[in-house]
Amino acid sequence: MSRIDRDPAARSRLIGALATLVILWPLFQAAEVKPGVLFDPGNLKVIGNFLAGFLPPETGAEFMGYLAKATLETLAIATAGMALAFLIAVPMGYLATGAGREKATLNPITRSLLTILRGIPELVWALVFVRVFGLGPAAGVLALGLTYGGMLAKVYAEILESVDAAPARALRHNGAGRPLAILYGLIPQASKELASYTVYRWECAIRASVVMGFVGAGGLGQLMDQAMKMLNGGEAATILLAFMVLVFAADGFSGWLRRALDTPPANRASPFGWRSGGLGLVLVVSIVASFSYLEIGLKSLLTVEAAHSIGEFVAGFFPPDLSAEWLAKVGKGIWETLAISVVGTLLAAVAGLLLALPKWRAPFSFLLNTLRSVPELVWATITALAVGLGPFAGALALALHTTGVLGRLYAEALDNAPPAPGQALHLVGAPGGFAFLYGTLPGAAPQLIAYTLYRWEMNIRMAAILGFVGAGGLGQLLYFELSLFHHAQASTVIIAMLLLSIAVDQASARLRRWMA
Amino acid sequence: MSFSPLRRVALKAAVACAFAASLAGGLPAFADEAILRVSAIPDEAPTELQRKFAPLGKYLEAQTGMKVVFTPVTDYAAVVESLATKKIDLAWLGGFTFVQAKIRTNGTAIPIAQREEDARFTSKFITADPNIKTVADLKGKTFAFGAPSSTSGSLMPRFFLQQAGLNPEKDFKNVAYSGAHDATVAFVAAGKAEAGVLNASVWDKLVEAKKVDTDKVRVFSTTPPYFDYNWTVRGDLDPVIIKKLTDAFLKLDPANPEHKEILALQRAARFIPTKKENYDGIEKAAHAAGLLK
Repeated sequence: MSRIDRDPAARSRLIGALATLVILWPLFQAAEVKPGVLFDPGNLKVIGNFLAGFLPPETGAEFMGYLAKATLETLAIATAGMALAFLIAVPMGYLATGAGREKATLNPITRSLLTILRGIPELVWALVFVRVFGLGPAAGVLALGLTYGGMLAKVYAEILESVDAAPARALRHNGAGRPLAILYGLIPQASKELASYTVYRWECAIRASVVMGFVGAGGLGQLMDQAMKMLNGGEAATILLAFMVLVFAADGFSGWLRRALDTPPANRASPFGWRSGGLGLVLVVSIVASFSYLEIGLKSLLTVEAAHSIGEFVAGFFPPDLSAEWLAKVGKGIWETLAISVVGTLLAAVAGLLLALPKWRAPFSFLLNTLRSVPELVWATITALAVGLGPFAGALALALHTTGVLGRLYAEALDNAPPAPGQALHLVGAPGGFAFLYGTLPGAAPQLIAYTLYRWEMNIRMAAILGFVGAGGLGQLLYFELSLFHHAQASTVIIAMLLLSIAVDQASARLRRWMA
Repeated sequence: MSFSPLRRVALKAAVACAFAASLAGGLPAFADEAILRVSAIPDEAPTELQRKFAPLGKYLEAQTGMKVVFTPVTDYAAVVESLATKKIDLAWLGGFTFVQAKIRTNGTAIPIAQREEDARFTSKFITADPNIKTVADLKGKTFAFGAPSSTSGSLMPRFFLQQAGLNPEKDFKNVAYSGAHDATVAFVAAGKAEAGVLNASVWDKLVEAKKVDTDKVRVFSTTPPYFDYNWTVRGDLDPVIIKKLTDAFLKLDPANPEHKEILALQRAARFIPTKKENYDGIEKAAHAAGLLK
């Protein structure tokens, strides 16, 4: 090969690759990655037996009754939680956003409050609320409301900032106050995106409410937790099927709703068509039905006695335990959690890319949808059987779910990548693989990297809680300390989770900027 | 300017939320006097707990004239917290969860009865590894406890391991919490943990029901006896009801076929009175094992 044919960037690529390895190696160590155990005949037999137990799925009448009730409860928790989140998000988003302001001063207090709300995973809120408000779905609704309220507010704020500010500015210069300027100047431009994101979050809320059941917040998750703990394959299979149907249905419904947003409004005098009227009615009815089905006695939460017991509970978390001994333990948990999130995301990126490549999509789309419709906590129960309890099980669980998510996004990104370079290479006779590597992939790479990094931000939160099912890291510490009412220690762990997720958000944003 | 229909929907949602919140607030806030709320620590599958409780619940309804409602939970600590915040009236607690409840309620929670077996309860160490013959062989192995706040699946085994000079966090390769006694057996049978420990009563039940392959999984050590489970009421419950409940448990007679079924499901020969002082030993062990601060 002549010198000219050599890759001009070879050296920097080699250095980059080596540096990546040096950084990742200790993380793989901490995650106790041992692919060998996956293929250990003993383990294969164990997992084979467990999965064989999935057939036939349990269909007894008594169990189906429980299942129907739990499914309704899950839907109700998601809907009620979203309603609460919306109530929190609107004022918070208004306070936090720089939109419609004369000077772009961001509200630091609201912003940090939002970061705290979002940074603590909903499962942790749920775990804490189960203790404060007692057993059942109230804890799930409140946890969803807070976390999703934080997320919605942040995204609402950003959407409002991203649209053309000119109409709002014009309104303000003509004497309109800020609320009116936003209402008439910005929201009409942003309404589609706002509504679309809200509907997407509702779909996420259904998934999340299932996961929260794992800590006793009711619904399908609680049923699933029981079946998984007892390694009752038949029941687990039925619950998983019910869950998948629910997720697919929510996915389809939210997709339909978002497509409906793309159709321009009908040209008529009355702003209310049958569709918007019908949807509004369904929405109101379902929210009211959700709250009454769950029997959340909000009034009982507002008595002096309840306030007193909540105050006492919260006070127990202060001051956090900052002794050197405990901090060392938490530090180890942080490292393990970070390792789980990085290893899980990387494995998923590789697997997702491989699954995104084949041209004939149908079987792969089905595989990817299946992978992502099973929550990480459920995967963790299965991977713990395959490789034993510990961080590797957590990383694998994360990888399996994330592969489903990333594979689908990657496939879309590759589809949308500019086709010309690949075609040109193909026409000059490059083999298919080369045309893809040097033609298509570079065009899609920024998108792929951005998706991967966004997913990593979500995965750090998930990694922090996988420990609830024995996958190590901060979650295991938190579960243990909360079980024993060691609130000062639990408090340190929650703060560590928060700081870790903030740090990862920052690192990911920086990496994205650097790579762009 | 275009108005999306969904935007109006979103605005209406806000109104609906406010309505829903005010409607939902109208539900009864605190336990109606005529209802007795009962729960139990989830040391076994909650469906199993509900099945076990059904006849006992009917019996207690007949004895107290109150409606008995059983709430299954998946979390030990939630039962303690619910008792402390008066969301339940009567709870089936383990020795350690009773101590936690006593502390959470400033000493007001009252244990009213326990099974004869609970006065001399033990835990069984199990393994599927032929090389493990004594607890000293556990060094460097992976080990499964039950729930962190279980008496027989966590606290007492930990205490006795400590007496034998073993510190689980330092001496074991990996410590896992399965969450429940039957789950621990599944972990060990599946080889997910090289050894584990559980409540003797659940072990015997699983062996009787042939739910465990005893050729593979065997008991290699049993702890000395200690006080475990009891039925506890919150201290500010009406003393008349407390008396009725206590009498109801003590009156259960194995000679009566109806009572026999209840006792069999509870795995009890009969119920005997109990008192707070019985659990002082557990409290000391919890301090020694570092589970109570």
